[in-house]
Amino acid sequence: MAGLILKDLMTIQRQIKTQAFVLIFFLFISIFMQQALMLFTIIIFIVTFQAITALTYDEQSSWDKYANTLPISKGDIVLSKYILSILLLIFGLILALPIVFIIHRFTNNWASTEFFLTFNLLVTLAFCMLALLLPIYIKFGSIKGRMVLIAVCFLPGFLFSLINEHLPDMTIALSNLKQYMFLAPFAGLLILWLSSLISTAIYKRKEF
Amino acid sequence: MNAIEVHDLQKNFKGFSLNDVSFSVPQGTIMGFVGENGAGKSTTIKCILNLLKKEYGEILIFGKDVFENELSIKNDIGVVFDDLHVPETLNATQLDKIMKKVFKTWDSGYFFERLTQFKVPERKRVKELSRGMRMKLSIALALSHHPKLLILDEPTSGLDPIIRDEILDLFLTFMQDETHSILFSSHITSDLEKIADYITFIHNGKILFSEGKDVLLYEYGIFKGNKEEVSAIPEHAIIRKRNGALGIEALVLKNEVNEVFSLEKPSIEDIMLFYVKGSV
Repeated sequence: MAGLILKDLMTIQRQIKTQAFVLIFFLFISIFMQQALMLFTIIIFIVTFQAITALTYDEQSSWDKYANTLPISKGDIVLSKYILSILLLIFGLILALPIVFIIHRFTNNWASTEFFLTFNLLVTLAFCMLALLLPIYIKFGSIKGRMVLIAVCFLPGFLFSLINEHLPDMTIALSNLKQYMFLAPFAGLLILWLSSLISTAIYKRKEF
Repeated sequence: MNAIEVHDLQKNFKGFSLNDVSFSVPQGTIMGFVGENGAGKSTTIKCILNLLKKEYGEILIFGKDVFENELSIKNDIGVVFDDLHVPETLNATQLDKIMKKVFKTWDSGYFFERLTQFKVPERKRVKELSRGMRMKLSIALALSHHPKLLILDEPTSGLDPIIRDEILDLFLTFMQDETHSILFSSHITSDLEKIADYITFIHNGKILFSEGKDVLLYEYGIFKGNKEEVSAIPEHAIIRKRNGALGIEALVLKNEVNEVFSLEKPSIEDIMLFYVKGSV
């Protein structure tokens, strides 16, 4: 497992370096616009997307064909991608939080409760996105995966229009949920765990 | 003991299937696995490695069922495919660090010795290596945890004769330990003639023969003549016949044919051609 995570980190190392420049660019923009949360969002999504990059590199080199000749279980191969994502997310948070706080410190829009809510929401969203993306990419590969992803992205819009009539009730329900927001990242983790079970089941059926 | 035993292996695809594939690789020997492109060599090897799921049959490595003892078996085997399947942004030094975490028995000293021997750059990314270099790196990776069995799927295809010779020498060095074994698939039969002890021949998903190399090369002979001359050879001595440039050619059992017939020594390639293109 440690070998797999190390391999992914080494593979995406170069990619991370390139994206560091993008981050510096957004750092200046967010300081200029006094929008720390924008920077925060970008950091979280860039780091979590690295798991997908690692999967694409694997696919390009038929890594799985080789990995499955090594003494590594299929479950570990899948789980390593999830652990990699969580590690990168933690890394992203450690990187982003001090900067975000500093920007907040020097700007006037300091509202810690609001910030805490958004923070929770973003982390949860990142977890949910991974929970959706990883099984799709493992099942369909990066090219087909992208197509399926687009299709899946239309689904929420479709569902939204279906339940549009009940929207006023929904808004009230959502605002009631606000107080439970601190639980959201844990729910996200739970969803991620369920997704890893699905991915493992998919991966075990694959042939290389 | 056999390093590998395959019994009645079956696997079906659209338009192709492996039918009752059975053969074994005795411990301490090199088995050459030959057949034309698409004959089923890679499919069989992938089934042995559990990369493809067999539909029927039994596969044993070191006497143990592959599917029940997958991880412990995979600790003791080294695999080389026709290309190096690792992300292209990695280099040999990084691969060493990764493999150290994968295999308890990983020997970094041995790995870097092989890289020096093969002149493979340690810090050049896989993407920047030539095909020959990638294959050498792949072989160094397969050997450095000191496996007992090597499974090689076309490791020398697309390489020049000098690199091929170096690689074959390395396999012979590996075989100096009597407990080591190799399953070596290739359609370059001259490579197998150099190093194999046994030859298994697969054609259209079926095993046509699995014999000692010396049995094939010394017990078989090729007779070239006209129709009348060939008809004078006892029928049971003829294995396959085919039309040649100057009449009929027959693959025969040397000991069953009268000495007056002058026979040529066949190569593995000749035997393959007789089996594929000849008739009984």
